[in-house]
Amino acid sequence: MNIAKYPFAVLSAALFTVMLMTPISSLSNLIWLASVDMPVGIISSVEVILFDFQRLGIALFGVIIVGFAVAFSVAGLISKYTKFGGIYLYAIAGSVAIGLALILMVELLFQTQLLGGNRTLIGKILHWGAGFLGGYFYFKLISEEKNYTFIIRFLGVFYAYFILGLVLNWVFTPEIAAAEFGFVLSELSSDAQNALLRDFTSFFVATFLFSILGVITLNPVWFFSAGIIYIGAGIFNLIAIYAHGTGFNQIFIGEFILGSWPIILGLVLSYKQKKA
Amino acid sequence: MKLKILFSILFFSINIFSEYKFETILSNLDDAWSFEFLSEDKIIYTEMPGKLKIASLSDGSIVTLRNVPKVQYASQGGLSEVVLDPDFESNKIIYLSYSAKNSNGKSTLYLMSAELNEDSLENNKIIFEAKAPRRIPVHLGAKIAFLEDGTILLASGDGFDHREKAQTLDNHFGKIIRINKDGTIPANNPFVDVEGALPDIYSYGHRNMQGLIVTKSGQIFEHEHGPRGGDEMNLIEPSLNYGWPAITYGIDYSGAVISPFTEKEGMEQPLFHWTPSIAPSDMIFYEGNRYPKLTNSFLVTALVSKDVKKITFSESGKELQESLFSELNSRLRNIQASPDGLIYLMTDGPRGKLIKVVPEGL
Repeated sequence: MNIAKYPFAVLSAALFTVMLMTPISSLSNLIWLASVDMPVGIISSVEVILFDFQRLGIALFGVIIVGFAVAFSVAGLISKYTKFGGIYLYAIAGSVAIGLALILMVELLFQTQLLGGNRTLIGKILHWGAGFLGGYFYFKLISEEKNYTFIIRFLGVFYAYFILGLVLNWVFTPEIAAAEFGFVLSELSSDAQNALLRDFTSFFVATFLFSILGVITLNPVWFFSAGIIYIGAGIFNLIAIYAHGTGFNQIFIGEFILGSWPIILGLVLSYKQKKA
Repeated sequence: MKLKILFSILFFSINIFSEYKFETILSNLDDAWSFEFLSEDKIIYTEMPGKLKIASLSDGSIVTLRNVPKVQYASQGGLSEVVLDPDFESNKIIYLSYSAKNSNGKSTLYLMSAELNEDSLENNKIIFEAKAPRRIPVHLGAKIAFLEDGTILLASGDGFDHREKAQTLDNHFGKIIRINKDGTIPANNPFVDVEGALPDIYSYGHRNMQGLIVTKSGQIFEHEHGPRGGDEMNLIEPSLNYGWPAITYGIDYSGAVISPFTEKEGMEQPLFHWTPSIAPSDMIFYEGNRYPKLTNSFLVTALVSKDVKKITFSESGKELQESLFSELNSRLRNIQASPDGLIYLMTDGPRGKLIKVVPEGL
């Protein structure tokens, strides 16, 4: 467990940093929109912040993982072989990792500033600050004794983070969400629109909440609940294809993955809890 | 049942092949971007690295023209559009848009006029330099069209990193520009008397415009790349704000929200939008009669969907789209109709081709 906690601490710190970084772009964008008299309100702000946390965040997550993995390894070596060490070494390493990652994304990859919030000096400083706190958080995680629940919780949170994208689509942009499943919302009857929106939205919100409740309570039943719903969707997808002739729909692969993930978490939890 | 399917396939194949076939006229074009017909046999075309060439379509001979402006060939920049003056037959004037570094070392968009001789350009004159400096040449727009009154429209893109400036009138990011042939500013431009506004701006709130045409009825149609989703087709009117990036149907490449709004009073809605994006790259309004089914329709080339969208509008104003030429499976960069009404397509990239769409019976 002691070895396993390091990579999961990197992943956790990266997700924590994503949570701090994405609102910087969201807020800088919202401030600009308000400055040109767009009707920015609470709901539109929440929509932008949550969507950015999920969609922009997932793109940033990979970049930050690589940056943190290198930076924290170097910080570990410095800590081991020199007199420097402690929480601020890791915090500075996190800050440098984010600063360098954002520069390299422009200079080596895209040539343009893909991260809107990083176009101003204050935005850059805030991003470095987010990296600093990410490093701080990492050190806190590796300084404590961890057991298997640390990994279960991270995987549960990451699962919920993934599902969050579907939740947001159905809550804020149902027309686009429906189109991704082959529906042209405006062409459906009013009753059909209502049924589609309420059922799909509750489907994704429920599985999101089940996984969050699983993370909080560490009760495997919540993970099993989320898993059963997706496995069920996968099974009935196959029945629809082969018994009702709806045509092949490869979404069942994703449904089985989304079902298996929480079920494995639930099984591990059950096993460990029984053993204990 | 099987027989029915076989007949359907056979009929479909005959139908397709009886309408047109493809003939590659030129190949190994080096990042070609645009072309124009000098005659039924000769075209003039640009290659992004800074080459301007004349090619004979009958024997394939190519002349590389001298005295072409030095361009900044990087990213999306280089030698872009070439168009002929409406009075080209008499004055031999052509216009070129391109990216180059300005006096401060920043990249921006230029428009040049020049006289076309047999193998060189003469009397080169820069008639427009965009006040849109950027770090690297991206989102330049660079399309050129002529209005009936002889003035020039030039699309100047938002420069990607400068998208918010498309909403202010003190710069050329995300604007359509209107100038006279000599670079002076028409007195009836919409913002001539607006304090703080650049007087050559015709419309604003655009992103990266890659199609700009004026129909015989005088209507201006433009299409522009959205980010992820939200490619737009617009009907352009002077002084209007087309909304980018305050309203959009797309999201950022990074996944970030650009704007949660798709409409606002005072900002124009597109005629329609392509979501997901097709990356529209050029457009003509086909008025020839060599392909009867295409007459009086817009033909839009696309880089991502690798086809030509035939677009017409119903009486209610709803767009009707049909995908053409997808069997080429190529990123299509440019489309032109020859003086005789034959359609030619230019493919994108370092080994581009010029392809003639040969109609039935030719």
